[in-house]
Amino acid sequence: MAIVAQSSKYGQISRTLLAWIVGLLFFFPIFWLVLTSFKTDADAVKPEFLFFFTPTLENYTNMTENYNYWRFATNSVITSVFATIFALAVGIPCAYSMAFNPTRATKDVLMWMLSTKMLPAAAVLYPMTFLTKSLGLFDTHFMVIVVLCLINLPIVIWMLFTYFKEIPKEIIEAGQMDGVNTWGEIKEILIPLAWGGIASTALLCFIFCWNEAYWTVRLTTTDAATLSKLIEGNRAPEGLFFGRLSAVSAAAVGPIIVLGWFCQKQLVQGLSFGAVK
Amino acid sequence: MSNRTLPRLLQSPAVFLLLIWMLVPLSMTLYFSFIRYVLNSLRKPEWTTPALSNWRGFGNYEFVLKSKDFLFAIQNSLLIVCSILFLTVILGVLIAVLINKSFPGQGIVRVLLISPFFVMPAVNAVLWINMILDPVLGLQGIAVGGINDMVDGLRAAPGIGWFFSLWPELTPISFRATQTSAYAVIIMVTWQWTPFAVLIFMTSLQSEDQQQKEAAILDGASTWSQFRFLTLPHLGRPIAIVVMIQAIFHLSLYAEIEIVSRGNGNKNLPYLIGEFANNNIGAASATGIFAVILANIVAIFLLRMVGKTLME
Repeated sequence: MAIVAQSSKYGQISRTLLAWIVGLLFFFPIFWLVLTSFKTDADAVKPEFLFFFTPTLENYTNMTENYNYWRFATNSVITSVFATIFALAVGIPCAYSMAFNPTRATKDVLMWMLSTKMLPAAAVLYPMTFLTKSLGLFDTHFMVIVVLCLINLPIVIWMLFTYFKEIPKEIIEAGQMDGVNTWGEIKEILIPLAWGGIASTALLCFIFCWNEAYWTVRLTTTDAATLSKLIEGNRAPEGLFFGRLSAVSAAAVGPIIVLGWFCQKQLVQGLSFGAVK
Repeated sequence: MSNRTLPRLLQSPAVFLLLIWMLVPLSMTLYFSFIRYVLNSLRKPEWTTPALSNWRGFGNYEFVLKSKDFLFAIQNSLLIVCSILFLTVILGVLIAVLINKSFPGQGIVRVLLISPFFVMPAVNAVLWINMILDPVLGLQGIAVGGINDMVDGLRAAPGIGWFFSLWPELTPISFRATQTSAYAVIIMVTWQWTPFAVLIFMTSLQSEDQQQKEAAILDGASTWSQFRFLTLPHLGRPIAIVVMIQAIFHLSLYAEIEIVSRGNGNKNLPYLIGEFANNNIGAASATGIFAVILANIVAIFLLRMVGKTLME
């Protein structure tokens, strides 16, 4: 028995070690990005300063000078926040209706919504450019918000639907007995009850909006350009400005990674559409 | 019941918006794919405005099918998507099984692991192609240089020098060539999406039947057969879901290709459409229709596979 216990102890230690190695390995590129952001551009490409160097905040202080970071960041915040709000405003009534008043078509509608996510965005690239340009909406916040809202709407509805489904129907029906109208049901019963689910849906939608890199790059030039566009536009200088590029990249992904840590549990339920809990 | 009409109607705004979002641009694409439509043409200025008089029938489709890029783009799309799916599922299952049982620091390892998933695609590509995979200035170049220097030093050492003189000089791989840049894209997207697979599989493993497992251990089942006959079947559904979600995201992979492979010949369907759309809108639209058909084939297949489990 002692031998078994001994070997399983070694097993435990080696498993712990291996798990830590895997975790650190996956995190390493992000660590590297942050580390490089504290090096000067010249130091960043020298092998002798790989881990030991004189850290500098220069890249962060010069971010505005080199890249106009704050304008892009503001645009990212504005577009992501409003797209999330609109997606919820359209998505909550829709998911409410599907979860508590399903019709025979509800399942098919849900499936159809998911399938719109599968349509390759590139297929409608030119028509979208054409439409936005002819409506005078090219490179405007409004257009970016509308597009971000619509591409995330199916996932928002699906997530909300899976959360709402778990609320007992009786609670909603009790409200009807008390003579509360539909808006009252949503506002006073559903939203308070499903607050956690709605919050994590919003968080995830915000993250997806922030990271979106097809339409935000294609439908903007400067005025409404987001951080994706900024990074995409600055990929060219190969190796020249590793320090600066790292700082601006770290500043672009840092807040989102931290937000993501808070919603990792909900992410599972949301992205597996409630099938994995 | 009539008082249920309003609640039922509440889903119509969303449906309506998505319908417009889908149908309007798509029907325009369909229309453009049947006409001659270019952005700049000195020879035929009438082609620069979309009009029915420029009807070309299936000409754009023939043009696209005959262009050598098209087949390559489809192959590459499939290569990239399938490799990513394969790698993320295998790695995801292995890592999920590894970190599922509690160990010191499990929470921290989880946080470290999930982080790549939230990195924006543009940063992901810039980070990997410049700072990690670059053959000279990236970590790859530095590591290869370091190993070569070390081997060089050892060659001069007495006694063991002959052994190291048999070693070849390592050359770093450039990930900016046509084929290797596809591998670079596979590496970076796998890095980003493996955490997602791990997270889903881990959540699913926590609902695994522990009694069944204990019974199997009492019966003397090996770790491998426990994994093979209990854990793996249990993971069937989550694997299907991971495959579906990733297929949705990766078929339209764009930023990574744009950043890693601009101008080096590596492309997938979305990228090819972007290239055509610089001038030949007719061809871009026809390629778009092909992309829609491909996506539909995949979608039908996937929704059949997982649609039922989602609706339970």
